[in-house]
Amino acid sequence: MMLSKVLYVNLSNKSINVVDRPDLFSKYLGGSGVASKLLLEETKPKMDPFSPEAPIIFTTSCMTGIFPCIVKAVSMFKSPLTKNLGESHAGGHFASALRFAGYAALIIRGASDHPVALEIMDDEVKIRMADSLWGLSPLDVEKVLRKNDKGMQSVISCGRAGENLVYYSNVIVDRYHHFGRLGLGAIFGSKKLKAISVLGRKGIQIDNPIDVKDMYDKINQKVVKSDEMAKYHYLGTSANMLELNELGALPTRNFKESRFEDAKSISGEAMAESMLRRKISCPGCPIACIHLAELRTGFAPEHEKGKKEIFHEEVSVPYNYEPMYALGSNLLIKDRRDLILLIYHCEKLGLDAMMTGTVLAWATEAFEEGRINLDDTEGIKPEWGDAESYIKMIDNIVEMKNKFYVKLAQGVVAASEKYGGKEYAMALGNNGMAGYITGYGCIVGPLVGARHSHLSNSGYSIDQKIINEPIKIESIVDFLIEQEDWLYVFYSLGACYFARRIYSKELIVEALKTLGINKTQEELLNMGKEVFHNLYKFKVREGFELEAQNIPKRIFEVQTPHGKLDFKLIKSMIEYYIKRREKEGISLRPEEKAIKELLK
Amino acid sequence: MRFHIEVVHPERCIGCYSCVYACSRHLFNTVDPSRVAVFVRVNGSLENPFTVIACRFCKNPECALACPKGALQPLPEGGITLIASKCKGCKTFDCIDACMIKALALDENTNLPIICDRCGDCAKYCPHNVFKYEEMK
Repeated sequence: MMLSKVLYVNLSNKSINVVDRPDLFSKYLGGSGVASKLLLEETKPKMDPFSPEAPIIFTTSCMTGIFPCIVKAVSMFKSPLTKNLGESHAGGHFASALRFAGYAALIIRGASDHPVALEIMDDEVKIRMADSLWGLSPLDVEKVLRKNDKGMQSVISCGRAGENLVYYSNVIVDRYHHFGRLGLGAIFGSKKLKAISVLGRKGIQIDNPIDVKDMYDKINQKVVKSDEMAKYHYLGTSANMLELNELGALPTRNFKESRFEDAKSISGEAMAESMLRRKISCPGCPIACIHLAELRTGFAPEHEKGKKEIFHEEVSVPYNYEPMYALGSNLLIKDRRDLILLIYHCEKLGLDAMMTGTVLAWATEAFEEGRINLDDTEGIKPEWGDAESYIKMIDNIVEMKNKFYVKLAQGVVAASEKYGGKEYAMALGNNGMAGYITGYGCIVGPLVGARHSHLSNSGYSIDQKIINEPIKIESIVDFLIEQEDWLYVFYSLGACYFARRIYSKELIVEALKTLGINKTQEELLNMGKEVFHNLYKFKVREGFELEAQNIPKRIFEVQTPHGKLDFKLIKSMIEYYIKRREKEGISLRPEEKAIKELLK
Repeated sequence: MRFHIEVVHPERCIGCYSCVYACSRHLFNTVDPSRVAVFVRVNGSLENPFTVIACRFCKNPECALACPKGALQPLPEGGITLIASKCKGCKTFDCIDACMIKALALDENTNLPIICDRCGDCAKYCPHNVFKYEEMK
């Protein structure tokens, strides 16, 4: 029997109700699939992302908690950053706790006029006044709301950045995980929703225990014994730092270069040797990909009158490749302690570290070019490699100190529209770029992907597979389409991207069968495609035009493993992509609009 | 097959709950961290290392002594067995309070304490060898 209960919470009139939606869950299984349909149901065209009517949708899936690595909660909302589809996935305890509490999905509607927190304990759901939480760091919220009770608990919250409506603020999940991208934190802030705590104690009854256990064992053996996930277990994604540097695909100095001379100093290897304290998992996954650095900061100047620092503040900071590139190589930060300090600063304030790095890199270059000056920056000189200045700037962004910082808080595209420097505002579909300058796939992938993420369709991976081969437009685009359609099956199961090589198509069909869900590979693939179509229906309705997307010129100036990229090839790929998608019966442009010039 | 199980390296725990999920699958055909005989406890914040708790198979178990009905019977090899017929009707759950390490949980579905049956699944599924386990003769 599939769990299909949806918990609706309205923060305006404080109503709480549960609706059973077997129609959605039997068709889409959960995750991105169910969320895509709920998003279309819950939104009116062109609504302001910060309006009370704008919903927040969280989904789990029929497999959550039952099989290894099925640990992600999917969130959907209207993104303040892109004014379009907001989709972000998070690990941690959230999906499991929600499922154990008896809910397959949670929808937040309305807005409160004072700070509130949502507390869910199985059937008991409370909207509580939370003035005392407002202004706290998500790291502190996790501590104060943590109960030492039986069951599974999750605490998620926005930080100061979300409260102040920074367009790329995140929601931190159980201290170390994130609904990281596209600004969910600001949606929380706009609703005066500081935090959600879920305690689940109902568990999941398994109808077919012998088959499910056999299936669990089969999958688990693959997870722990094969090499498919070893990278995540060992150094984690931070292993990319040296691999991409070697390849000449590591974004450096705001994508001006693709190799960083100090990559070694901020590499996963160096981190593991000198700063790694311990690792942590999501419940239901034995990999422990979350690597925690120990950050020790002496406080002698105030405490011991400047004498030798013998006593330290000590915190654990999660690190992985994306923030390490964004706040590391891309800003020429060569001291790994500085890098961890910058990541920690984003964590405390609840900022997407990737977009923060993108914005700071743009600001540094705009300052060098004289597009902005010390009046704009409030006297701070942004300088490559200078963590101290960057930290001050991050504070000013979150507090929106002046007009300039207000623009920075709206993202790199908004800032470059006002101050110039669009050629090096490194965003695709308005979302800050991921840490790959590997070739065509890493550009076209996020550009066409529904959520403009490198995880939409793994474009960066095809680049690395076809180095030294001639570029074939069709084969790259075909790969991206096949990947994204399939990944939307995977994401509808709430599965973690890192486990994509564990769960083959055959295995997913078999695993679903043990849960009494009979779907063929073909049916699943059609479902994945339909999810993508649902999302593009939303995107186009909100005004997204693939052909009108800006591609920063910098992309064509930097050396990649495929040489300098050719704009004409990218244009051809997009034309071919549109043709292929239109054959599936989906329009990628608002009908009334004529085809626009790609690069404005 | 029954095993002697011991938590020997709790500091290695990564919070994957593989042991907990295995235990609830084994005992109740559920995935349910509140119906188990092995516990991964969060200490105030996920910033802190986890505490891992399993029955210590005491020779003179405090839980058994606390039971006014004699429903928990100490076993010669240590630990306890539950005589469910004797337990029913008790509302005080003294046994659960008595266990100093909180290795005994109440199953709210049946109103019975959950007893470790030494299946060893917690240890077998742990990816970091937090547990030591050996077959009992």
